[in-house]
Amino acid sequence: VIVEVLAGGVRGGTSILFAALGESTSERAGVVYLGTEGSMLAGALAGYAIASETGQPWLGVLAGAAAGGLLALVHAFLVLHQGANQLATGLVILFLGLGLTSLFGSNYVQALAPTFAPWEVPLLGDIPVVGEILFRQDPLVYLSYACVPIAFWVIHRSRWGVLLRAAGERSEVLEATGHPVRRIQYLAVVTAGVLAGLGGVHLSTAYTKAWFENMAQGRGFVAVAVVMFAARHPFKVAAGSYLFGAALALSPALQARGYGINQFALDAVPYAVTLLVLIVLGRRRRAEVPEGLSKVFEASPA
Amino acid sequence: MSTIASDEVIDLSMPVSGASDAVDPIPAVSTGPTPTPPGLTQRAIRTIGRTTLALLGALIVFGILVMLRGVNPVTAYRDMVVSTFTDPAQLAGIAVRATPILLAALAVAIPARAGLINVGGEGQLIIGGVAAMGVSLAFDGRVIGPITLVVMALAGAVAGGVWAGFAGVLRLKIGIAESVTTLLLNYLALDLLYFLIYERWKDRKGSGQPATRSVLDAEKLPLIGDTRLHVGLFIALISALVIYVIFRTTSWGFTLRAVGGNAEAARRAGLPVGRTLVTSMLVGGCFAGLGGFAQLAGAEYKLRPGFLIGYGYVAFLGSWLGRHRPIHVVVSCFVLSAIAISGDSLQLDSQLPAASVNVLMALVLIGVFGFGRRSAKGAAS
Repeated sequence: VIVEVLAGGVRGGTSILFAALGESTSERAGVVYLGTEGSMLAGALAGYAIASETGQPWLGVLAGAAAGGLLALVHAFLVLHQGANQLATGLVILFLGLGLTSLFGSNYVQALAPTFAPWEVPLLGDIPVVGEILFRQDPLVYLSYACVPIAFWVIHRSRWGVLLRAAGERSEVLEATGHPVRRIQYLAVVTAGVLAGLGGVHLSTAYTKAWFENMAQGRGFVAVAVVMFAARHPFKVAAGSYLFGAALALSPALQARGYGINQFALDAVPYAVTLLVLIVLGRRRRAEVPEGLSKVFEASPA
Repeated sequence: MSTIASDEVIDLSMPVSGASDAVDPIPAVSTGPTPTPPGLTQRAIRTIGRTTLALLGALIVFGILVMLRGVNPVTAYRDMVVSTFTDPAQLAGIAVRATPILLAALAVAIPARAGLINVGGEGQLIIGGVAAMGVSLAFDGRVIGPITLVVMALAGAVAGGVWAGFAGVLRLKIGIAESVTTLLLNYLALDLLYFLIYERWKDRKGSGQPATRSVLDAEKLPLIGDTRLHVGLFIALISALVIYVIFRTTSWGFTLRAVGGNAEAARRAGLPVGRTLVTSMLVGGCFAGLGGFAQLAGAEYKLRPGFLIGYGYVAFLGSWLGRHRPIHVVVSCFVLSAIAISGDSLQLDSQLPAASVNVLMALVLIGVFGFGRRSAKGAAS
């Protein structure tokens, strides 16, 4: 049971992981992107539709990433150029993605598309337990494995990451030293959209293997919660995504074996844990929030 | 102190001799008959002009998108207007839909005055409905209807208030941003709702669908005439009016704005900043909880999956669209509700998915948030 749940957690958590990694990047630069869900939907539809039309799932991946990034670009433009409120704009983008995908998605509800099948990594897949959980997945899951250390390296070790974090902490300083703050933030937000789009593609072409209206079902918001839980740190984000994913996978697995556990009591656990973590770590966590970001979350000091 | 005449932000760190000075960005120096600054009306005209342009832009873009789907946009718009605004049932639908949205939007607007961001309208609505249903189930017809109804309303309001107030307390005591906690509390409320309707409160005599039993007939809010309109609409409208009056005339309303304007200055002026933050969330949450109750007792009669889902986020946008001013918020909530209802026409008349109308709503909001009031936003940030 445990292996099954963990493997399911990885599979189900992958779309959340992509989106949460993107959200971390964007929040590090001081921009909250609540439209993650919209980008996921756009990515899911674009990926599925292009895969269906061309027969090439990898072209679908590109299309999905582009679609997710495009929506995020709208967010970036409104927030960075027009000075609109980030949280409100993010929700607007969510509704935009929801509406656009239902408008253009109705043709693809019954459509068939080539999908990603699980592919066992030679040798690694034979490792008992670990292999079954981690290395008998579809290619996009492996892509997400790669994204975690890359994100960590980019954010925490690269020169670009320093600029990124500086944009989130003290944009004035960055500006004073002649760096293009706005361009960095644009890039970060669009990255968030691209990754959320990838998450959406995984959802439609590998996880459910179908497209239907509003198929992200709150996963974009879950990703935002994961980022809060993990304090924008890529490795913690990965752990959090799989935790949420496992909670989603646990109850069907248990119910199939006759354990009468209410699914929704379980679903609530990750959120309750996140809230508890925030309460317990409280002030310490607060210091970790990028300064530019806390201006968004807290309009007035208390 | 006289009544507060304007909606401008109050910043106590500015030298303010009387509240009326807050109207004018530059305190009047001469006491003589100064000509009214031309800025105000001109600015209003410009704002209206921008908003109209933004709305037109939204309609054009949506028209193009609709055209891409092979539907004549002119016909689609005509059908939307005709079937939404000439059919009494649809008109009633707008008002019924706007009721919980308006109440939840007030839950955004009140804390917003104090500078807090309440993204938890969704959870506060749901928890209000859950509490009201709980009362109905607990009393189980043993108490006469009108009393039960009142207790249900109170329970809904208290539950919503506690749900939001919790986030306010966390903000004050531990310093967690209320926008984060209210968002998380949304999921907890939703999971609680699902837990109850799939398990504990599931109607055993029902059709096996995950839903509670209906509230008893005596526990339903009276309908108005032969329509689906229910008394909850008046609760919502009166609430907005009460808030409007509170904002304008009471010292609490003034304190709220002072805290939202400059918390540090308000603290030094001796205002209870912390208490105000928590009470603003508490009071706001009460209204959202009331909205959950109104939807349960006036429109849906039972808890089922999808109960009020998405309403809280629309309410958040409604409050922002109305710039957190009660009367403006009433208008914007009705507008958003009308757009949502017109999605029915898209589905029936133009064979497009009803959810497509979210595009129109988003475009309108993008137009207004992003382009409609650039000058105002620029000045604020």
